[in-house]
Amino acid sequence: MNPSDPSHARTPEERLLQASQGLPPPIPPAHNSAPDPEPADHPPVTGFFATAEALLRQPDRIVRQCGGGPTSLPATLTLIALGGALVYGLVVGTFSGHDQLWAAPAKVAAGLLVSALICLPSLYIFSSLSGSRARLGQVGGLLAGLVALLTLLLLGFAPVAWVFSQSTENVAAMGALHLAFFAIATGFGLRFLKHGFQSLGSDANGGLRVWTVIYVLVMLQMTTALRPFVGTAPTLLPTEKKFFLSHWGDHLNNPSRATDSRR
Amino acid sequence: MRSEIAVLLRGEVERIAPWTETPDPRRVALWLGVTVAGAAAFGAAMGWWRAPEQALCNAIKFPLVILLTSVGTALLNAMLAPLLGVNIGLRQSLLAVLMSFTIAGAILGGVAPLLAFTVWNTPPQADAGSVHHSHALVLVTIVAAIAFAGIASNLRLFRLLRKLGGGNRQALRVLLAWLASNLLLGSQLSWILRPFIGSPGMPVEFLRDQAFRGSFFEAFYYSLMRLFE
Repeated sequence: MNPSDPSHARTPEERLLQASQGLPPPIPPAHNSAPDPEPADHPPVTGFFATAEALLRQPDRIVRQCGGGPTSLPATLTLIALGGALVYGLVVGTFSGHDQLWAAPAKVAAGLLVSALICLPSLYIFSSLSGSRARLGQVGGLLAGLVALLTLLLLGFAPVAWVFSQSTENVAAMGALHLAFFAIATGFGLRFLKHGFQSLGSDANGGLRVWTVIYVLVMLQMTTALRPFVGTAPTLLPTEKKFFLSHWGDHLNNPSRATDSRR
Repeated sequence: MRSEIAVLLRGEVERIAPWTETPDPRRVALWLGVTVAGAAAFGAAMGWWRAPEQALCNAIKFPLVILLTSVGTALLNAMLAPLLGVNIGLRQSLLAVLMSFTIAGAILGGVAPLLAFTVWNTPPQADAGSVHHSHALVLVTIVAAIAFAGIASNLRLFRLLRKLGGGNRQALRVLLAWLASNLLLGSQLSWILRPFIGSPGMPVEFLRDQAFRGSFFEAFYYSLMRLFE
């Protein structure tokens, strides 16, 4: 990575702007790695483990490959996202066991992938409105990278989440913990997306900010639309339509509901 | 090989950094041995105040908390390091964390006789007249020892991360992220594996009957609420 990358906030104003967006710090330069060779020197990233490692340690390679010609990388990233979501979903399901052991993984995976699909057109539109020249395929590749990185981090959180899910009976506390893990992972995913657009030479900051809000809202609503993820309910999917704030408000205003429906 | 523990304690990062590149099984076994032995000695001294059986339980449980925490957060820590600017892999991050736990284990092992001496001079838990004062004294001694070990080992870890990562900001970010993840899991594991100090009103046991009921943070929250009632 190049230390002179414009994505690194150097002035107090830039740092303030970054903090106001609620994102993790920009992708920092890796000081101990060897100088990044020219793109031609890099073999294409192939395979699940190499892609996962590159996503964490050499995101530039992923971005360059997504920005190049036709590649199978978006498919690999999507499969990583699917696998990661299923495994993390299984951990979510262990809180209640029984049907939730298959329902929660299916819901987590469906929720993440459907959210990304729903938001892909708007990401393309908003980035274009902000002057980005990225093609739909490139935007799709970056979005797949976002979701793959998000689920990779969720995999890292999985052992911690499992320990808590075996200990607490409190549905609200467990839900809040999962939301916190999702928030951290999403923050890093969004940072990857922002860095990706900048690496492709597209300064889509304005549009990206608006889209970030939309994406987060869609993901939060998905937690209510596909409920319950944590705890149980008489039906697999909700029969009552609700906005996520209203759903959370119900739980917080009626604490007895927070502990009575673990299993 | 044993002199390497002194190198770790002195924090000579120039010599330590290459150890994370190529793990030597004998060295890793030594680190694990020091961590387990130090934590076991400290745990035993801690539990001795309640009963010898509690000391034995603690000698098993205290190292278990440390080892399970480092294993449970290994993947997450390895992912967070490159994302926050220190481009090291799973093996390097695990070894770096293990090294810091080795330093903490060595310090805890070193102060375990002091804790045992404190406990020896403290009225027993069964002595109802002075139990509150004694409990406070033992608790403060334990907290002070753990805090000292934690601060010293994390300062060494910070210097190692700075050497591996090349910058203060990157190293600090990674250190804080690792501390947060270790604290999150470590506190919950300690909660599950309670009791450590024990209580005169309750039997000596390896795990409480309801070990898996509730969480450290719920208990902390409810305790805090009781303060304001």
